[in-house]
Amino acid sequence: MRLLLGILDRVRPIFEDGGKLRPMKPVFDATENFFYAPSARTQNAPHIRDPLDLKRFMSMVIIGLAPCVVAAFYFFGLRMLAMIVVSYAAGGAVEMLFAVVRKEEINEGFLVTGLIFPLILPPGLPLWIVAVGVAFGVLVGKEIFGGTGRNPFNPALVGRCFLVLGYPGVMSATYIVPGSGPLGRLTEYVGVEAMTRATPLAEAKQGVVAPIADLFWGNVTGSAGETAAIAIIVGGVFLVLTRVANWRTVAGIIGSFTVLGLVLHYARPDDFAPVGWHLLAGGLLFGAFFMATDPVTSPITNGGKWAYAVIIGAATLLIRNLTGYVEGMMFAILLGNIAAPVLDDVAVRLRLRRLQHEG
Amino acid sequence: MKPRGGYNIRVAGRPAGAVEALPEPDTLYLPLRSRRFNFSEICVKDGERCGPGHAIAKDPENYFVPLLAPRAGTVRLDAVEGHIVLEDVAKLPEETYHPDDDLPHVPKDLGSSGMKRYKLLALGAWQFLHDAHTNALPDPFDTPSAVIASTIRLEPFLARGDVQVRKRLVNFTRGLEHLQALLEYQPIHLILPEVDSDLASRVRDTLRGHAWVNITYVPLRYPFDNFALLARGLGLKYDANSPVWAINSEGILAMDRALTMSHPCTVRLISLGGPAVDEPKHLKAMPGYPIRAIIDPRTSSESIRVLNGGGLTGDTVLEDQLGLDAECTGLTVLPEHTEREFLGFVRPGSDRRSYSRCFLSTLRAPAAERLTTALKGERRPCVSCNFCEEVCPAGIMPHLIHKLLYQDELEQAELTRIDLCVECGLCSFVCPSKIDLRREFIDGKQLIQEELHSEEVEA
Repeated sequence: MRLLLGILDRVRPIFEDGGKLRPMKPVFDATENFFYAPSARTQNAPHIRDPLDLKRFMSMVIIGLAPCVVAAFYFFGLRMLAMIVVSYAAGGAVEMLFAVVRKEEINEGFLVTGLIFPLILPPGLPLWIVAVGVAFGVLVGKEIFGGTGRNPFNPALVGRCFLVLGYPGVMSATYIVPGSGPLGRLTEYVGVEAMTRATPLAEAKQGVVAPIADLFWGNVTGSAGETAAIAIIVGGVFLVLTRVANWRTVAGIIGSFTVLGLVLHYARPDDFAPVGWHLLAGGLLFGAFFMATDPVTSPITNGGKWAYAVIIGAATLLIRNLTGYVEGMMFAILLGNIAAPVLDDVAVRLRLRRLQHEG
Repeated sequence: MKPRGGYNIRVAGRPAGAVEALPEPDTLYLPLRSRRFNFSEICVKDGERCGPGHAIAKDPENYFVPLLAPRAGTVRLDAVEGHIVLEDVAKLPEETYHPDDDLPHVPKDLGSSGMKRYKLLALGAWQFLHDAHTNALPDPFDTPSAVIASTIRLEPFLARGDVQVRKRLVNFTRGLEHLQALLEYQPIHLILPEVDSDLASRVRDTLRGHAWVNITYVPLRYPFDNFALLARGLGLKYDANSPVWAINSEGILAMDRALTMSHPCTVRLISLGGPAVDEPKHLKAMPGYPIRAIIDPRTSSESIRVLNGGGLTGDTVLEDQLGLDAECTGLTVLPEHTEREFLGFVRPGSDRRSYSRCFLSTLRAPAAERLTTALKGERRPCVSCNFCEEVCPAGIMPHLIHKLLYQDELEQAELTRIDLCVECGLCSFVCPSKIDLRREFIDGKQLIQEELHSEEVEA
């Protein structure tokens, strides 16, 4: 491993001030610090620091997504690999471009966006649309606001929202029927030529209700990583336990969704399917565990997080059942993102009122 | 008391209870600056021979608190920049104090309490007192609204109160009695650890019938030993006219020494800890003791960083500081970060100690880690992970204040109560984006003073 460090040390001068490739320094730094822990030392007190850095923080999300990725490969085949590669390549290009122009570091947050994005898309979506979507999401959802940490919207959801509104036909017609058997579609590479079918939420509007067991194990059509509730729960609970995902957001979404769903189901059983079924269908769980918990776009205060979660949970249920859209999670989270600064403002004011009398 | 936040960082190299007396030095290098003091008024002449306990310099900004010569020696004023050097140091029998040299601002008609305060100041015991809220040196002739006497020190690593008190419990009790004699009816809050320690029960037993103190128990979690936090926890509000005094066990012992025996307080008990120290322990040292002579024989690491104070709030000892300063409570020695781990961020990390639960070590019993000066990551924008807020003992929102300061919103930062920050450094410690929050807040507070309150001071 010394060898690699030697190579990096040898090419470093090219990227330093006065070197030929000075503008590409962010790329070099990202590569170097990917392989070797950064050499930076503390300058001020505290002179000792916690080992957690943003790379590790984001790696936890990747680990949390792993079960969903495995499930997506099993149900929808090797095409997933192509989608993930395209997503990373197209989104990474935008990210890199902005880092170079801004002379800033390349941020690890993109590693998560790039992996989440294909998981929330129909598995048969043409690859060029994947590329367009992720590029739009990273560009409009993140970079034009100033990059990681300043974006008001979840970049992956902005990309998906763009595709839903821009390519509605393709988006709704590329839900491939999942594979089954011991290998599923693990050995296949299938696109739209394979059989497609409407998602359970869409079919439910026509009165065809998918069995709950299928929703739980993921043997239904849907966005690539969202079908298997069990995989989402395993990965999501891992994230909550490592405290990368805030439990308040997850509990608030699932809690408000369940309570409102129960009430409405008993009030009007014809319009509202049982809440247990709704919980496992569509992108609710995936959104609650992996997307709404994005610390940047969710409120920073705990009170704000609760309110934000309740808005998302309630909005999802209402959009699903009362509007023309079959799935409401995406719009609900974007709605929550819009509300987040306002919720924070209120929560911060209340907090400061308490602090007023201190000291 | 309802403690908020806080976190115990487990660093290898906690000083043991053993106390080692350092060998007598040949030369002492007394720095003219320490954290709070700047001894700018020199009271001795070059080449003069001065006796032990003589005031060789004073700080005119801080009630003329003296810098005492710990030993007899020949004064060299210009030998080392920023230091008074004492050569040919000899340990002579200590002289008992005579109030001969007048302190300029002391009122002439001193009562018995006034005489005692004067003695404390002249014998170097007064410098152990702090204003609990501002950490400044209190006016010796002021009346406090309350006194906090703390026996705990929690930062890795400072001299521990229990080590200081254990063998001198009688002196400690007597010191508390002296402290009480300085006051009229104001309460003394004695801070003891919230664990069933042998020391705490012995302190309680010894105190019974001697000194009237309110005992408060505090969990042993950093930084609950902070005076400002203790004052807030006890409901003692900041009032510039009647300040809250705070003192550590070492100060109480110094009071006893000054008032019972009338001897100058020059020898201190400091800690020597940190991962780079071979045998972490406590040392009996005096101001001016050459730092290299303390560190070099006790570490085998090549590349080290020596801190004056603890690892979280201490300052790097610069090359030009040769001796211990008058306020040093401990030296922390860290190995400099040199080794770069290959693919460090994907390792399970069963040997990593982290505030987060992102390492496998979460599943194991906590162990002390050999921490270095590594930043352990790259500087990134804030992602609002809220770790700083969870860990903050002052109950403020460091990430929010960081963003306000970044946008130069000084008024907003002030409204968000940046002034409550006690500079414990925990937020910087846990930050995964490696933002220097503590530094930012110190600078921010200063900026707010300058830009928003400079007129008030003038008026």
